[in-house]
Amino acid sequence: MQEEQLVTFSLGSEEFGIDIMKVQEIIRIPPITRVPKAPDFVEGVINLRGNVIPVVNLRTRFGMPPEEETDLSRIIVLQIDNKVFGVRVDGVTEVMRLSQDSIEPPPPIALGLDANFIRGVGKIGDRLLILLKLDQLMNGELINGQTA
Amino acid sequence: MSQDKKNVEIELDDFLEFYLLDSQEQVERLGSGLLELEKNSDNISLINDLFRSAHSLKGASGTMGFTPIVELTHAAEDLLEKLRQGKMAVTNEIIDVLLAVTDRLKSMLAQVEQRVPITEEYSDLTAQMRTLSETGALAENKPQQLTSPTGNWPVKFSLSSSERELIEEALTVNKAVYQINVTLAPDALMKAVRAVMIMQRLEAYGTVVKIVPSVEELENNNDLQYVGILFITTEPLEDIRADILEISEILDVKVFNYDYPLTKSEKEDAVEAKPKTSIETKDEAEPNFSDSQKNDTRNNNEGKNKVHTIRVDTDRMDNLINLVGEMVITRTRLVKIGNDLKNTNQNVSLVNSLNDTNVYLGRLMGELQESVMRLRMVPIGTVFSRYPRLVRDFCRKSGKKIELVIKGEETELDKTVIEVIGDPMTHIIRNCVDHGIEEPEKRRAAGKNETGTITLNAYHEGNHIAIIVSDDGEGLDLEKIRNKAREKGLIGEKEELSPRDLANLIFLPGFSTADKVTDISGRGVGMDVVKKAITNLGGTIDVKTQRGEGTSFIIRLPLTLAIIQALLVELGEEIYAVPLSSVVETLLVKSNEIKTVGGLQMVQIRGNALPLLSLRQKFDLPEREEEVDEVYVVVVGVGDRTIGLIVDELQGQQEIVIKSLGDFLSGIPGIAGATILGDGKVTLILDIGSLIQDVVTA
Repeated sequence: MQEEQLVTFSLGSEEFGIDIMKVQEIIRIPPITRVPKAPDFVEGVINLRGNVIPVVNLRTRFGMPPEEETDLSRIIVLQIDNKVFGVRVDGVTEVMRLSQDSIEPPPPIALGLDANFIRGVGKIGDRLLILLKLDQLMNGELINGQTA
Repeated sequence: MSQDKKNVEIELDDFLEFYLLDSQEQVERLGSGLLELEKNSDNISLINDLFRSAHSLKGASGTMGFTPIVELTHAAEDLLEKLRQGKMAVTNEIIDVLLAVTDRLKSMLAQVEQRVPITEEYSDLTAQMRTLSETGALAENKPQQLTSPTGNWPVKFSLSSSERELIEEALTVNKAVYQINVTLAPDALMKAVRAVMIMQRLEAYGTVVKIVPSVEELENNNDLQYVGILFITTEPLEDIRADILEISEILDVKVFNYDYPLTKSEKEDAVEAKPKTSIETKDEAEPNFSDSQKNDTRNNNEGKNKVHTIRVDTDRMDNLINLVGEMVITRTRLVKIGNDLKNTNQNVSLVNSLNDTNVYLGRLMGELQESVMRLRMVPIGTVFSRYPRLVRDFCRKSGKKIELVIKGEETELDKTVIEVIGDPMTHIIRNCVDHGIEEPEKRRAAGKNETGTITLNAYHEGNHIAIIVSDDGEGLDLEKIRNKAREKGLIGEKEELSPRDLANLIFLPGFSTADKVTDISGRGVGMDVVKKAITNLGGTIDVKTQRGEGTSFIIRLPLTLAIIQALLVELGEEIYAVPLSSVVETLLVKSNEIKTVGGLQMVQIRGNALPLLSLRQKFDLPEREEEVDEVYVVVVGVGDRTIGLIVDELQGQQEIVIKSLGDFLSGIPGIAGATILGDGKVTLILDIGSLIQDVVTA
């Protein structure tokens, strides 16, 4: 049976899962430099050992209200198609395995989230895990300024 | 299982990288060698070189299974073999077709690099080469036929290891190894004496490796008639041959290229560093500086460079540079801790020794940083090397005669600059060959040498590199430029400009004085693009011209793009970096002097109106809460456009390392990149060009 290994994290009361192979590392929140004129979901850029990488605030990206930084807040550094960026989450919960037959396609009205970001919904007992489609996170209306 | 497959793919990929690097180098070598051969068509060692490059390219491509490359190089190899054996003379057609082969090989390798199947057609070239090698008759003007030694020549060489070493070393430094077959008159007396005489004469030209049969054998057996000699030289064969023939009772002298069988391991040996001790040929002392000798010294240098360099992936190097940068930042934190400890009056001697160590560490870090930055420096010769071909092709097409002189090719500058400077330079050189240098008749009429000269020169000038492209052509027609500029309304009817300012008008968009449009240049897009490219690199370009005597383009570029001087400015909590190269001055302006005209803030500075841009507004920050009487204005300019940036505070200037914002955030208006400051925080670098554009077009 095919299994997936996931990193799970929380945003408010929701729990999300992302493919562990895409995760480069998980760090505490360093000073973030705002980038004016960047899309609003880009919180800014950080210094990751000498490299400047952008950080996406997932709350803003998913249209959730902003939340103060806590001790649990983390940035998950992702590497997708050789591009590195961070996503800011409220807290990283665990690393888990999930068999593929407990993953269902995304519901038509996708939990108030843009369906483009959702790959499926995983069920573990009575917990619901939203599996994210990561390549869409930075896509779409990525840089508004590009044409300007 | 899938993991295994992946591994295999990765390994193949690694090989492919090596193959590509090596093959591209061989193709480059073929290209430059061919151009050299065109000038020195009887340089056998050059042909040998070309043959070897083609051969190893064929071999490597065969291993990787790239059949089209194998077949194309094979055909080229056949043709080169004919040249090598002296069965054909080097002609322009041959050079043309072989150059076309190198171009085709480049496109094929590009396809390999893109990991797509090779679709480049090549049958036309192989056909052309076949026809050439079949029809190309025996070279007429070559008295000494460099065919292989005939099979029935009775003398065979068996080499000792020291003799092999001698030959290998000679081949590494591109000296030619010849087999000289001497036929003595059968009734000649004292054949050993003839042999000694031959050797004496040869020693004047080079090194005799071996003589078979040996002098002793000749002494003991007067029936021997055929003598074979292995000989290393750089001198013209014909002289040597004539010299030997002067000795009496010698029937015939034939000189062949000695086909030394290079096996794979030997080839690697040949590349390996070998202290140059054993060979000390006399020809170095001779006053005859023939062309081939000059070539030899150059190739010698190349050989030395190869031994002392290794190839490193640029990613790895960038990573190293990043890490060093991080260490520098970490050290500043250590310094801060040291200072904090000092203030708390902890164990004084311990704190002092910590601070001393920090100072020493700082010195080391500085040196480390400089050495690492130097790793990125590449000689500009890598850019210059593409132009001989460009000029040559143009000459063949247009009938002009141009010599390209290259100087200072060892001048080093940052790889990033090297990568982008090629195209603008190509454009300038095209202009020189097309518009600068006149047709041969015209030059003769003007009392100049028929052959025009274009000189490329590069040298260091403080923190900059100067690249000068000059021609001895007809120079710019300033009168024509003035008329054109008036016609286009670029200068007023009455406006008089200095010759230098007039010449520099050619850098304005849409300005071309060429009457005829050729495929080389003259489309009216051109010098402005060149200027823009150079300005983007933080450089400047200037033109000097003298009617009838020529034109020089002087390009000045920063040595590196990675580190710049910047002025740090504050906007509330945020800090931004302004490249110092675009800062004109900083001013303190009274708030009540700022007027708003048509939605644009302006201030009068020394009688001129200076448009202002509030960076707070631009970057969506709220206005300052406290009222201020005076504001800081950073006057920035690109070209002749200047604006003032309103900021809260000036923080001072420092060197910053430019970093990319990455693919996701590139193209944000007003931001050129980012840097990391001493406290580890990211700071954004302003894109002055786009900020000015905003204000001026607003």
